[in-house]
Amino acid sequence: MARSWRNWSGSIAFAPQRIECPCDEDALCALVREACASGRTLRVVGAGHSSSDIVRCDDTLVSLRHLKGIVSADRDACEATVRAGSTLADLGSALYAHDLAMPNYGDVATQTIGGAVGTGTHGTGPALQNLSQMLLAVTLVDGQGHLRHVSRDEVQTLRAARVALGTLGIFVDMTLQLVPTFDVERREYAIATDAAIEQLEELTRGNRSFDFYWYPRRDDIKLRLVNPVFGGTRPHDARELMRHTGYGHLVIPTHSGIPHRFEESEYALPAEQGPACFRAVRERVLRRWRQIVGWRVLYRTLAADDADLSPAHGRDTVTISLHQNSTLPWREFFADIEPIFLAHGGRPHWAKKHTCHAADLAPMYPRWWHFQRVRQAFDPQGVFMTSAMRELLEVTP
Amino acid sequence: MTAIGRRHWAVSAGWIPARSSGPEPELSSHDVLCVLNAGARHANVRIQLVYAAHGTVGPYRLVVAPQRVRQVRVNDLIFPEAVRLEEVYGLIIDSDEPVVVQFGRQDTRQRENAGGMATAWSG
Repeated sequence: MARSWRNWSGSIAFAPQRIECPCDEDALCALVREACASGRTLRVVGAGHSSSDIVRCDDTLVSLRHLKGIVSADRDACEATVRAGSTLADLGSALYAHDLAMPNYGDVATQTIGGAVGTGTHGTGPALQNLSQMLLAVTLVDGQGHLRHVSRDEVQTLRAARVALGTLGIFVDMTLQLVPTFDVERREYAIATDAAIEQLEELTRGNRSFDFYWYPRRDDIKLRLVNPVFGGTRPHDARELMRHTGYGHLVIPTHSGIPHRFEESEYALPAEQGPACFRAVRERVLRRWRQIVGWRVLYRTLAADDADLSPAHGRDTVTISLHQNSTLPWREFFADIEPIFLAHGGRPHWAKKHTCHAADLAPMYPRWWHFQRVRQAFDPQGVFMTSAMRELLEVTP
Repeated sequence: MTAIGRRHWAVSAGWIPARSSGPEPELSSHDVLCVLNAGARHANVRIQLVYAAHGTVGPYRLVVAPQRVRQVRVNDLIFPEAVRLEEVYGLIIDSDEPVVVQFGRQDTRQRENAGGMATAWSG
């Protein structure tokens, strides 16, 4: 029987033939084998926070909500193996009990670890990589319904698996590189836009985590700094708005409970292009979009990595995100800004709004074809390749 | 202490210019809602925004502490939805404690800036 599914923001809604919630990996393997044998497609969904089409599926949608928790933890090695359906918020608390922590978080912690890793979700910090880089090894169900383990020695396969959008297989258990539990101090400041831009280099290099919100209706900025307690820089010509301390998993994600829905588009740019791109976005929003756009623009930093499809692949990165209330027009706004991102060498966030197809995306990723070979080996019949995923990943000759 | 103010107010003159002159945010064109709570208890204020050309949006939620005033730029309200600029609107304001409401505008479309202030209609 068809059941409806919708994402958090409400802009992705569809009715798959089935929504399945397997209780263990045996049941999951059976579902994939069945789909494979009958020529059907199957997609795994995390917490539904993404606003892209990557989970859209007419056939079988699989939720891992019964596969959660910590399988094992090793404090000395700073590693843990966790179930892929665990939310980041739950993992934060559970890892704390083992004196372990994820090195970073994004603004929300409602996603599942499988979804966050699989889409290259990230926080901010010039020396901090996206969450996929925690993945040391993974056990997954491949496209033929076999349970497979990718070990830490299979370096090339892991480079494909880290940001794989659920197309190599459905992650079951993930071994993560973690850090000891840490506490931080969060400070936030109000500052004029030009004053913030003048200090951008110092803010980026001088703080563990730095980002800013730019407010189009006021043309001013909120700086957000997260550092070891008493660490980091003190911005000039800024008014301190708040300061508090606490453990990373409690202090870094600040918007998990946001009550109102919004749509989001984000591009990852070469770090050196970040300031110029932001100035171009600011100018365009002030000139064309202030009338209906009151939501902020978010500027973050991210360290380079080597995952095949990571938006930060091979380059230190600045990300810029647009937000808009889901009840107000957003398509026209995002579409108008997207060419600015692309002109500055941007790669879209896989889990947010963009209009790129495979032919646009392939040239952005030096290891695109390596990823495709690994994907083909793990899912030769294309069980995980819905029409939306084919548009995203298959380049037609 | 005798309560000052009323629990129900309305504003009918909303319209926020999209353009501004001069340094922002000080000189951003804006409408401002000013709520004085002269009483001894927190005032929970709920605002419905009524557009001339769109539906009603709300509630926008504010709390005004006892013996305090809040002056909120209408431009800055984004929950549940950013207020549209250059759209005619009004406000229906309800509070669980008596408050005094005034409403102002700073219009900096020209360099010769102008501002105005009016007391809202109390119901």
